Amino acid sequence: MSEFEYSMPRYFKKMDDLGKALKKVNTKNAEELLAVEAELDAEVDRIKAGGKPSEKVNAGGEWTAWQRIEYLVEPGTWCPLHTIYDPTSNEEGTTGVIDGLGKVNGKWVVVIASDNKYLAGAWIPGQADNITRVTDIAKRMNLPLVWILNCSGVKLSHQEEVYANRIGGGTPFYRHNELEQLGLPIIVGIYGTNPAGGGYHSISPTILIAHQKANMAVGGAGIVGGMSPKGYIDEEAAQSLIDATRQFKSAPPGRVEIHHGVTGFFREVAETEEGVLDKIKKYVGALPAYNPEFFRVADPVEPKFAGEDLYSIVPVNQRRGYEIYDVLARLFDNSEHSEYKPDYGLEMYTGIAKIDGLLCGFVANKQGVLKNYPEYTKEYIGIGGKLYHQGLIKMSEFVTLCNRDKLPIVWIQDTTGIDVGDIAESAELLGLGQSLIYSIQNTDVPQMEITLRKGTAAAHYVLGGPQGGKTNAFSIGTAATEINVMHGETAAAAMYSRRLVKDQDSGKSLDGTIAKMNDLIKAYSEKSRPAYCAKKGFVDEIVKMSALRNYIKAFVGGVYQNPKSICPVHQLITPRVIKDHMDVYVNKCTVRET
Amino acid sequence: MANVESPMAGKVWKILVKVGDAIAEDDEVIILEALKMENPVFAPEDGVVKEILVKEGQQVEEGDILVSLE
Repeated sequence: MSEFEYSMPRYFKKMDDLGKALKKVNTKNAEELLAVEAELDAEVDRIKAGGKPSEKVNAGGEWTAWQRIEYLVEPGTWCPLHTIYDPTSNEEGTTGVIDGLGKVNGKWVVVIASDNKYLAGAWIPGQADNITRVTDIAKRMNLPLVWILNCSGVKLSHQEEVYANRIGGGTPFYRHNELEQLGLPIIVGIYGTNPAGGGYHSISPTILIAHQKANMAVGGAGIVGGMSPKGYIDEEAAQSLIDATRQFKSAPPGRVEIHHGVTGFFREVAETEEGVLDKIKKYVGALPAYNPEFFRVADPVEPKFAGEDLYSIVPVNQRRGYEIYDVLARLFDNSEHSEYKPDYGLEMYTGIAKIDGLLCGFVANKQGVLKNYPEYTKEYIGIGGKLYHQGLIKMSEFVTLCNRDKLPIVWIQDTTGIDVGDIAESAELLGLGQSLIYSIQNTDVPQMEITLRKGTAAAHYVLGGPQGGKTNAFSIGTAATEINVMHGETAAAAMYSRRLVKDQDSGKSLDGTIAKMNDLIKAYSEKSRPAYCAKKGFVDEIVKMSALRNYIKAFVGGVYQNPKSICPVHQLITPRVIKDHMDVYVNKCTVRET
Repeated sequence: MANVESPMAGKVWKILVKVGDAIAEDDEVIILEALKMENPVFAPEDGVVKEILVKEGQQVEEGDILVSLE
């Protein structure tokens, strides 16, 4: 029990129960999901094992980035992101940085580390995108950023993919200063040789802590020696380079004696690997952070039902529905919630729940057949996963209320798209989809998105998708995730149906067109799968079903650490709107009604 | 003894039981196809399949008896 008491306990101490116990383990479904997770684990293992062997790094007196993170971050709090992100398909199979959310010295921070097993942490293609994503997470969650830096500079053979461009090598340095100007500190621990771009990594953060053998500089030995006026290399130039390199090898520019002894850019110097990390912990300890008790509305409690149940609940078979309440019951504290307008916009769940005792808004697709719905037609009935008139309006209302109450929002997507056809157009769905985007863009509360299963068509955008640059902190997927503009079969029909007619009318065999259609379906399938989504950055990480709550806890805990604005609990409107709607319109239990 | 009734209009896609099978509450008995989705129909209680009143491919309406139990 906490020594703190809570405001408005009648709203939050005991909320409505949701979900039910799992009656039967679906072994086949669980095995399929676990097999996909095992494939992703193998990818992560490949990255961890790649590059310079860890033993060799250690034999050289250094730790690997993974070892540094393990020492720095509190056990049980590490939520890795972008682990297999590699949008440019590098020969290294990684962008050369490792990042995630974790607690350091009791506080949530965003952590990023140069992967010193690959080219001594060099800039390689895709790295600038990765770092920019990380600085964006810090900005949207209003969290400090910790850098474990060990960057040997640009991989020179790939400079055209690394150096220039809008999101290029220099972008993160601007982003670092943007964070600082927003009041978000960046603490960097510097190891090894960090010339040129590596030097700007080092100097752009707020606090610089160096290992005794570290250096940072505008240019390294290669650059100083490479300023040859001849424009080509002859034997004389080669010898001069050899001499310069030998000289700089023994004394690279920007060592501790310069940047601690002369410039004072290095605030502190540590003699050991762990010494640098201990000093990072010390400075993180000096940062402001609310005790989460300040914002809690109830004691933190784990859900009543195990996260492992999700392996049985969420079907791999996309043609199968499931009960979203059973999913949410594995994520919410004590499997409790308050649902906003359950009788309206039947295809969507909107509601508030506690995560670690902290209040959060949730939006999720419901699944299954929706009888007598949508209300604007009798021509067909509704199906969960699609978006209709009422659901779109309900979501707009809900995010607006969450913004008013300063509640973070978690979106859980499993959508096939917005309803289509003239009936749907007449029901204004095109305009209402964009209206929801307007409502989201109009908020200033951090949001996280989970593509639990399908993320399809424009619905992937409007349901708090990663395209929401101002609000979406990060997006994650699962082993069941599939993201595409439409299903492969639908795309094949759209592209080839007229050709099939033409073939048939001209007496041609259909075989050629059918083969092309099946090739397209196969390509869609391969390019929609979890590993592809993570590699290309459609999601920031594929997360194990049983770990989804951990990521939500990190998100909600991080957001409440230093919120940009606060709504007092007794001035919240959303819980009152929920209660009054249920009392007046659903349960009809007001004094006047009874 | 309760019967297994169709919860919705749809087409019988797969019948998963045979006459004489002992089934438990919440076992999948039949899969209906509606709106391009597989919609499983579950046994309302334990029992033995007495009669299967539908065929695969047959269109059924909400409330139709699909399987009788004993």
